[in-house]
Amino acid sequence: MKKVYLFLTLITLFTISSCIEIVDDISINQDGSGTFKYNINLSSSKVKISSLLALDSLDGKKIPTRAEIQSKIDHFITVFEGKEGIKNVQMGKDFGNYIFRLQCDFKSVKLLQEAIKSTVKSEVKGNEDFLGDNVDWLIWKEGSFERSVPEFSIKKVDRLNEKEINLLKQGSYISITRFDRLVKDFSNKSAVMAKNKMAVMLKSNAYSLSQNPSLLENTIYLSPLKP
Amino acid sequence: MKSLCLTLLLLCTTVELNAQKSEDFIPMDAVTVFSINNISLLQKIPLDELIKYEFMEDLQQELFDGSASGKTIKDAGIDFDQKFNVFYGMNRDYSVTGFSFGINDLSKLFGAFDDFDEVDSPYEGVQFYSSYFNHLMVRGNIGVLLRVDPISTRVYDISDSTWYARGYSDNRRYNYYDDYYEDDYEEIPETYDEDSPAIEMEEYGEDVYNVEEALEEIEESGDYIIEEDYAPHKNFYDLKDSIRTALRREYLLKVSKELFIDGQNLRKSDKVLAEQLTHVVEGVFYLDNERNILKTQPFSYYSDLMPYLIEDITSLYKNNKIVGDIRLKEHSIEANMTSNYGDALGTIYKELNSSKFDKKMTKYIHKDNSAYFTYNVDLGKAYEKTYEIIMPILKKEKSRMVSSSVLAIEMMNAFLDKDAIFDMYRGGMFGSFNGVKKVPVRKLVYEYDEDFNYIETETFEEQDIPIFTLGFSTNRNDIPAIFMEQMSNMNSEWQNMGKYWKIENAFLNSVPLFIINHGGMFIMTNNENLAVNNPDGFGANKLTRSQIKATKKSGFLYGQMNTSKIIDNIPRTWMTNKQIDMLNAMRTKSGDMQLTSSKTSISKTDFKLVYDFKGEYEDSGKHLLDLVNSLYVIMK
Repeated sequence: MKKVYLFLTLITLFTISSCIEIVDDISINQDGSGTFKYNINLSSSKVKISSLLALDSLDGKKIPTRAEIQSKIDHFITVFEGKEGIKNVQMGKDFGNYIFRLQCDFKSVKLLQEAIKSTVKSEVKGNEDFLGDNVDWLIWKEGSFERSVPEFSIKKVDRLNEKEINLLKQGSYISITRFDRLVKDFSNKSAVMAKNKMAVMLKSNAYSLSQNPSLLENTIYLSPLKP
Repeated sequence: MKSLCLTLLLLCTTVELNAQKSEDFIPMDAVTVFSINNISLLQKIPLDELIKYEFMEDLQQELFDGSASGKTIKDAGIDFDQKFNVFYGMNRDYSVTGFSFGINDLSKLFGAFDDFDEVDSPYEGVQFYSSYFNHLMVRGNIGVLLRVDPISTRVYDISDSTWYARGYSDNRRYNYYDDYYEDDYEEIPETYDEDSPAIEMEEYGEDVYNVEEALEEIEESGDYIIEEDYAPHKNFYDLKDSIRTALRREYLLKVSKELFIDGQNLRKSDKVLAEQLTHVVEGVFYLDNERNILKTQPFSYYSDLMPYLIEDITSLYKNNKIVGDIRLKEHSIEANMTSNYGDALGTIYKELNSSKFDKKMTKYIHKDNSAYFTYNVDLGKAYEKTYEIIMPILKKEKSRMVSSSVLAIEMMNAFLDKDAIFDMYRGGMFGSFNGVKKVPVRKLVYEYDEDFNYIETETFEEQDIPIFTLGFSTNRNDIPAIFMEQMSNMNSEWQNMGKYWKIENAFLNSVPLFIINHGGMFIMTNNENLAVNNPDGFGANKLTRSQIKATKKSGFLYGQMNTSKIIDNIPRTWMTNKQIDMLNAMRTKSGDMQLTSSKTSISKTDFKLVYDFKGEYEDSGKHLLDLVNSLYVIMK
């Protein structure tokens, strides 16, 4: 538990001291199953991260070694892939460029959300509400899909200094939602529709998102299924 | 007659109180002392700038709440005719940090230290004030700001013993407050009595409290010996906090009693410090390495397991004291330091520092570098001497762990080719820092098509990379060559480029590292200009003749840095925010810092640090504090 918390602390540390790019890509089939991809790209901060990893500690926080990070990610994935409704979990780790790619297939959106929540919950004791236990950030109904992002990040940002905030502003969070049928409409005016009208993209910088998680809230309305 | 005697007595007392000197209030437990004589130099320094220094770190947390903003030391009622003594020390029970100083206006002092509240004093004639964990004691015209913290392992040990002595087991050890309130609150047994003596101590300011007595009292009362595994009112951490608070108070009283009642202080007990304090210079410093060494991790850990061995080892550090003077000149500050040691350590150091300067090193240091150092030691001779002195001590210890280590060392000593090892690394070493360079660093970005399918694309972004060189002289270039040849067979990133080797992405995962391995030198650098264009040295751009002369003239160690170049260029990635603030505060300063050493004798080595600043003399107080701070960080 402590190890995973350390890993999350590390991600937070890197996130607030590095330029980060996150791509959150979910494809949903008509039966509610689908594929979830989550990419964290820290390659533009690799000099800084390599410098950090060369240290034992910074500002009193322990910096884990590369091997420790690897082992923590592996452990997290092992727990995650044991969850109901989750299969074909793949984790790509490129420590040369600090790019991490998670991909899995899920049986239903609800099970995907439960799997993420329960994995974090079981591994981060004392922070059970880390991802908002009673909040659903993925809601699939026939004909529509609602999504948002967990609010946990906003709590950390209040304590950042100006330099760290500027770094967050350089980072980006991209949310893509794909379907196997046409999108009729969506609620978020900042969202963009793909040319084939089967996907919607929303983009924000990490700082704005941390200040206002509702930036990525979107309800997507779908065309009726073709007979 | 009676009133005359009384008047005389009062007069004597007043004279005695006013004759007190701030340097007589340095606790005996202090290991590091900085005493600034000419504190008038510091008059204009804002307090909020002063508290940013590392030597104020342990005190600053609760010292000021922002109300000191805009105030200077002059506004704090401090007597500039007295020395200002900063001290830090640690023993096996507690650490002590603080400073002693003269006071000329108590009301002004509390204008600055406005968080301090007066509390009952245990000692007549001494006023006690406290603010969280800091304590200010005033007697006459002397103030001592003190912070005493028990060592965590000591607190843990006592808490652990107390916990088990009460019959509690691990079951209740780690309960949380939440558990307590949810599960146990209603079940508090009737035997619990709120009037019973509590172990917990509120903030300092209550009656004098003795932890041993308190614990005995609790044992006798029996109120707290509840059913087995039932301790709803306190968990282990509560107990530990209570014990920490009680110990903090006990140790504070011990230290203050020594200072104010028993008249014991470091100046009295240590002749070396006493002598140093007589120097007519701007400041002096003192580090007792004999006591300092005991607090280091391995010594502290093994002192319980192998007390005799540790006693023997630490005896090597007998009389190992570093003392120094700080002198302020028109445009420079000089720190003259002497590292004293006993015979055993002195013999090792003398052998270690007997190496001759290898002039080849200077070819690889550019004359316009930002900073460089050379370090000449004879590891072969030092190894032999250390072996001769340390092994008999280790052999006396009969523990299995030490004996197996002795066996391993003896076997290695017998079988390894020591000549090859010490020919490969002879001991001459240098390093240089050449600022930062914009280097294209590869990064990956996502590119999206119109349907939001994406691919990772490689781009390059210019980033600041520190340019450094580290090298040592060798008689065996053939040994690293064997290693590198094999590495290149196994890994394509290792490339033999003829006069140098190139290892792709070896430095911070981003830029190549170059290795030059010929002509009696082994050099690692990320300076492409050195490896590619100057693999035999910088030629006409190497260190100038005068730079070489100064470097060669120094003993085993020489260092020089251009302060402004370093401040502007040093990478801040691995610095704490506080250190970055410090650097930014120094940004306006410029000058050169030079460190030289003498030849090492069996009893001492002298060092000299000269900081030539280009600012005005009236800013010298800040320069002085910068230097004191640098020394403090190095010595702590």
